[in-house]
Amino acid sequence: MKTNTVISLMSLMSIWMWTGEGQIFQPELTSNAFLAKVTSNTVILKQPYCVFNQPCPGCEIWLVAGLCSANGTFDALVNSSTTNILSLSPYPTAFNPSSNNFFLTRVGLLSDFPCNQYPNDRYFVVGADGICSGVNCNGVLPDGSTVCFKYLLIDANRTLINSSNWSGNITLPKLLPLQTIYDGLSARSGAMVVITTILCVAAALLLLLFLIMLCVTCCRPTKKDSKQISVMNSIRIPRYDTHNLKERVHPYDNPAYQSDLKNYSTSSTLPKNGARKL
Amino acid sequence: MGAGALTCLMFVVVALNAIAAAAGLALFAVAIWVAVDGYKLYPISGVSGKDDIFAAAWIAIFTGFAFFLTCIFGIFAALKRSRALMMVYLIIMFIIFLFECASAITAATNRDYLVGNSNLVKKQMLQYYGQDSIQGKQITQTWNRVMEQVECCGADSPEDWILYNSTFKQIYPTYNWPLSCCKRLSSFELQDPAGCKVGLTSTLFTKGCFNYIESVLSRYTWAVSWYGFSVLMLVFFTLVIAMIYFMQLE
Repeated sequence: MKTNTVISLMSLMSIWMWTGEGQIFQPELTSNAFLAKVTSNTVILKQPYCVFNQPCPGCEIWLVAGLCSANGTFDALVNSSTTNILSLSPYPTAFNPSSNNFFLTRVGLLSDFPCNQYPNDRYFVVGADGICSGVNCNGVLPDGSTVCFKYLLIDANRTLINSSNWSGNITLPKLLPLQTIYDGLSARSGAMVVITTILCVAAALLLLLFLIMLCVTCCRPTKKDSKQISVMNSIRIPRYDTHNLKERVHPYDNPAYQSDLKNYSTSSTLPKNGARKL
Repeated sequence: MGAGALTCLMFVVVALNAIAAAAGLALFAVAIWVAVDGYKLYPISGVSGKDDIFAAAWIAIFTGFAFFLTCIFGIFAALKRSRALMMVYLIIMFIIFLFECASAITAATNRDYLVGNSNLVKKQMLQYYGQDSIQGKQITQTWNRVMEQVECCGADSPEDWILYNSTFKQIYPTYNWPLSCCKRLSSFELQDPAGCKVGLTSTLFTKGCFNYIESVLSRYTWAVSWYGFSVLMLVFFTLVIAMIYFMQLE
């Protein structure tokens, strides 16, 4: 029992090592980290080194690219009609609603992809020709579809010699319309809120202070005169001696009261502005 | 108020007005720098119609110079101890204060619309890059220059060009992104045209341009907005002292 399991394990390991050495029998995505490895309508595959290991002079490797739902359609068409499969589904009409949903395009000569070389950085872009009009041109795939690929070995007489397995499903991302980008206001920054509030408050405060100042200055007539009169018995005496009398002569003074009362008549004690307002 | 205190207050008013005049002149100069747009990014805000940052800079040019002139007039009014002149000064300063408030608030608000996140810039790039209209040519020139000088591609990354439909994709369906995204030699030739076309990361610029655009427009905004705010705080303080001085006159 133990030897049986050991033998089966060994055989499995040898098969795994044999397949791991480079005998990929289906198209694969490139192992490079290209940014455009899988876009909405193109795919970058590895070049088909060592896919078909048989001697076949003048043979070419062709690629079948199409929707994964058309895998069965292609296989059935290949089995039923062996005449010129290369023109089975020309590219321009390949993906129309009632069409076969696959197209064939040439990758290169079999001799260009020998098995003793295995450069991993070589790549093949499916869809490199854009929207083209040739029968077997390398046109773009339908936007956002799930696509599968297969390699074919075609000889010089245009007959199918060999074909690889179908690749795994490769889902292309759907192209987003730019109207889906929402370019409205995202968020208000803190700086904007601070500046707006503080400036609005400052402007309002300034206006308020300005109005208060106007009220205070225009509506306080009494306060000013109370400062000027500093005598006990405050009597406002108009100055009648401004025009024709010298400053030193004050005929309205009563010298008898000069010692008791303050000297009203000197210019420093007479109220100036109050007198004029009367 | 005693004569000595009034003189002291007058000197304070004169000094503050002198500082505010200098600050107003500096605001004038900074606003001219913003309006001249040395980084040449005006089309990005102009094409969407959201160029209020530059409108605020124009307002700040006028208010900065007006602050300068009015503060010099204020120095003269304070020295003359004239009530009427001080009243005129206060009214004019208040009007200019309101305009400068508007400028600072407008610049800060508009910046949020424009570069709050990368969506607006990205959508504009996808829509107008490669388009044959006047706006299209301006945007194409601006983006080509930014991508080549700043060494970036797309708004967030080159994948913006792959994920979204764009005018560029309709016109050049075989190219994944513009050639300005590719690294060039010193002779301006492409370093690796085939590698750039498929996205080999060593042959094209992989960072996005939005950070650069956002930093430039923010720099303009903060020049007008924050510096305008600080000038306004200084002027607010000056006007309060001037009002007190006005109340003590005569």
